[in-house]
Amino acid sequence: MQKQSTGYLFVLPALMVLGMLIAYPIAYTGLLSVTDNQGNYVGLENFSRILAARATPTAFWNTLWWVVGSIVFQVVLGVLTAILLNQNFRGRALVRSVTLVPWVVPGIVAATTWAWMLHTEFGIVNYMLTAPGIIDEPVGWLTNGSTVMPMMIAINVWKMFPFVAIMVLAGLQSIPNDLYEAARIDGASFWEEVWYVMLPQVRSVIVAVTLLLVIWALNHITIIYAITHGGPANRTLITPIQIFRTAFESVQFNQAAALSVMFFAVAIVVVFIYIRTLASTPGEAQ
Amino acid sequence: MSASVPTLKRPGLPGWLIFVGALLVVLVCLFPFWWMALSSIKTLRELYTIPPIWWPSMPTLDNYHKVLFESNIPRYFLNSLVISIGSTVLALVLAIFASYGFARFNFRGKPLLQSLVLVGQLLPTAAIIVPLFITLRVLGLVNTYWGLILVYMIITLPLSVWMLTSYFKNIPAELDEAAIIDGASRLGVLFRITLPLSTPGLVSVLVYAFVTTWNEFIFALCFATDSSVKTLPIGLAEFSTEFNTDWGAVMAASVVMTLPIAILFLSMQRLFVGGLTAGATKG
Repeated sequence: MQKQSTGYLFVLPALMVLGMLIAYPIAYTGLLSVTDNQGNYVGLENFSRILAARATPTAFWNTLWWVVGSIVFQVVLGVLTAILLNQNFRGRALVRSVTLVPWVVPGIVAATTWAWMLHTEFGIVNYMLTAPGIIDEPVGWLTNGSTVMPMMIAINVWKMFPFVAIMVLAGLQSIPNDLYEAARIDGASFWEEVWYVMLPQVRSVIVAVTLLLVIWALNHITIIYAITHGGPANRTLITPIQIFRTAFESVQFNQAAALSVMFFAVAIVVVFIYIRTLASTPGEAQ
Repeated sequence: MSASVPTLKRPGLPGWLIFVGALLVVLVCLFPFWWMALSSIKTLRELYTIPPIWWPSMPTLDNYHKVLFESNIPRYFLNSLVISIGSTVLALVLAIFASYGFARFNFRGKPLLQSLVLVGQLLPTAAIIVPLFITLRVLGLVNTYWGLILVYMIITLPLSVWMLTSYFKNIPAELDEAAIIDGASRLGVLFRITLPLSTPGLVSVLVYAFVTTWNEFIFALCFATDSSVKTLPIGLAEFSTEFNTDWGAVMAASVVMTLPIAILFLSMQRLFVGGLTAGATKG
């Protein structure tokens, strides 16, 4: 008995802080979403207003595009890098540290640096592409409606694929040697080994990392916000940015709250899938 | 980590492919930083030339001078430092107690509370900025150090608790019991036995929390709008407009902002990566 209550005493301060900072705002968002700015109950009016806004469906599709595009390339490039780094070669430790650098630097630094590199007139990227004649004339990567979102995704991929690589690499290095030996006795080639030994063994890591990346893609809006603010012409407007702009630029707290509630509902589904997956991993991994 | 000595020769990638792949990875990861550093020491004229100049003929520190003496960046640097250290330390203290509670005691509702902590880490921050802003305004904490330090608990505390709990669990509970039989109190055990044994875990939590808060953008954008509390990421973002996008200065400011993180990361890398991937390898 005494033991039980002592446990509560230890965890209580942290839980109180988290409750105050997370649980309370969530409940408050719910309240804001069904009231007007005087605090009167208005039912679902905020929801219908924000859903009727022209930007909302645009933001929804952009968000989907942003999340899916980012995740696919992050995972593929990350896994390939992990397989490469799992090879024995000289300087491997150095390459591995270097790989992590994009992930560690501030998102805003990635944003400013890439914005400068992608500058239409003076950017190095346009120069590198025009000089050998890959493209005829400089492209306005960040001002052209059809290239801006792919560029945001590319920057996000550059920033996050190292994380996938390092997690998958850790998984690869914990594969017992017997499995490789068995494959080798059967005369497996390298790519057969990748396909039949490595990938199945790190499947659970890849699934967990992928879900985490989905959550992060929904969370991290630094790159897009810092480079384009959601423009040009809402081409890179994703829902989190719309929430921010509705609240702090249009000062429509209640509509922003209604949008938050819907965004939250989607995010919580992903979070629960993630937690269930995590809970079921140990059995699979062994 | 890579100590496994292959007894049978494994089939591997051909050497040239490894070389090309490694070279590509290094180039892709580092080129932007090289270009950033290079741009930061170019003169205005050399920045805006077509074709771009690969190596400045007269490297200059003017951009750094501008950033360090003619802008608000030093002030923002200080703000970032205060806020990051404040929230990191506060999160660590709270996390030490909570993790010890989770790792060493059994109480009703523990699994639920633990998963709630994890959920807290994963929730979309954008969904709660509005009520947080209103709450902070009511408490008079908008545009104060304390406001951001508290809000940053949302990002740092859950993961700190999570990482430390698994770390504490790996320390044999018998040590605690032996000390208690010898007359130590629970707190005495925590501070004299558990904590000294978890130094690597504590350091990786510190580094993680510091880096996350140093890099954080959205909360800072919403809750610190006055230049007396603005953090570096916000300073950098507005720097582009403030100087009519003087890219040389922006790149110099980027270098200034990246350096502390780079130094911290390179010096603690082994611990950091170990802590990060511990979950992945243990399954």
